[in-house]
Amino acid sequence: MRMAIAWGCLVPSRRSLIGYEAATRKVLEHLGVEIVDIPNETCCAPFWMQSLDVTTSLALAARNLAKAEQMGLDLLTPCSGCFHSYKRVNHTMEKYPGMKQRIQEILRSARLRYEGTVDARHLVDFLFTDIGMDEIKSKMVRDLEGIDLGLRYGCHMLKPHELLNIEYSERPIFADQILETLGATSKQYTGRHRCCGGLLRGTDDDLADEVLRDRLLDANAAGVDSLVTVCSLCHIQHDMGQRIIKNKFDIEDLAIPVLHYPQVLALAFGFSPKEIGLQQHTASTSTLVAKLRGEVKEGGGA
Amino acid sequence: MGQTDEMRSQKDDVPIRDEDVDREFKYEVADHFGGEGLLRCLKCGACSGGCPVAAVTDYRPRKVLGNVLLGLKDLVLSSDDIWMCAACFTCEERCVQEVNFTDVITILRNMAVREGHASKGYLDMARTVLQHGRVVPMTHAVNRMRDKLGLPELQEPDMEELSQIMSSAGFDKILSIYAGRDTTE
Repeated sequence: MRMAIAWGCLVPSRRSLIGYEAATRKVLEHLGVEIVDIPNETCCAPFWMQSLDVTTSLALAARNLAKAEQMGLDLLTPCSGCFHSYKRVNHTMEKYPGMKQRIQEILRSARLRYEGTVDARHLVDFLFTDIGMDEIKSKMVRDLEGIDLGLRYGCHMLKPHELLNIEYSERPIFADQILETLGATSKQYTGRHRCCGGLLRGTDDDLADEVLRDRLLDANAAGVDSLVTVCSLCHIQHDMGQRIIKNKFDIEDLAIPVLHYPQVLALAFGFSPKEIGLQQHTASTSTLVAKLRGEVKEGGGA
Repeated sequence: MGQTDEMRSQKDDVPIRDEDVDREFKYEVADHFGGEGLLRCLKCGACSGGCPVAAVTDYRPRKVLGNVLLGLKDLVLSSDDIWMCAACFTCEERCVQEVNFTDVITILRNMAVREGHASKGYLDMARTVLQHGRVVPMTHAVNRMRDKLGLPELQEPDMEELSQIMSSAGFDKILSIYAGRDTTE
């Protein structure tokens, strides 16, 4: 299987996010998926750019799709913001012929061409739908039994379903099923499906903090060994933002590791915490790593 | 962008006067792509009920919609309220009338941007993209960390294509509205 891949702006360039890229590369290689980076990828111009000018946003996102189309490949991305941007281009081009013309006209000025034939795929959906749980299970070398995870799907992989067409968007279970296949427990807790306020970071930090505080309190009450995020913004909020919330609202016992989704798979596939960048996260992952060392059983897939 | 509660709340205690009402406003919004659903709004409040920002502030998506439908164009476009949506799309999922509130917010923000009311934070991000091709510029420190993790060297964004696209889309004109303004306000 061969896919073009767009990493986005955040994943490859933030200290606590490069582990997302490392784990994704390792997991896909382990599963036999060949990936080709989008050449000289540019910003996908997600919702914040859309807020300034929707036409610029769509045309910029279409640039990376055009590159994938040129290579004759579908486009995979681990970033939910990028995923949303690419899906929106296709959706808009399909639904609004006038906008399709406008986007293509703008691309032509940069000697680019996009016909709308590239399917944009989210990494997690791809793992579930195209790879499948049987295959994932067969590639396991470690069982994650005894590890309690709090999975956050985030908003932009799922909503709105009309645009993204993944699975019912408010109570999804597909990504939990993969974690459970790996032997871990995916804890259901109040607030795990609620927005973390990530897109407010940078435009209204106080508001972003207020929304995040509730999410972290929910997660803390759930007593998980680690949170697991899919979205880059969720990770920035829960991992980097944790210290802000702890100090600002005086919450003493806040210390939750926050993993990127494919890092969990990578651990079950036998990669070491260091290889997938767990030491780079802002919120220490050491309690989780210690628990993995002490409790995780070796050698069992079943 | 105000960061205080007083600035966030609209003036509820003032009666709406005829001179504040632009009867065409809602049609103007509904005319943009994605805004078609606006005229179907029943103001039922399902959007506010599921809103994560409404849970911690007095911001209400229903109120924004109500003000748009009333025709309070100046109030809506200059208010901080339209910049408080976190784009989680929960309201869009739950709306029985398929109003697509997040699309409506996008249209309102695009209009507000043209009237000089852009969010400073987003504007700064756009300037970074225009300059570096990415919203987070690469640093040597990150490159070293990538190297340590065995990650390939990150390719430089194609700045020629990016600036051509942004300029053809008219983004230069939008930025020129804000040229010379103190961006550190």
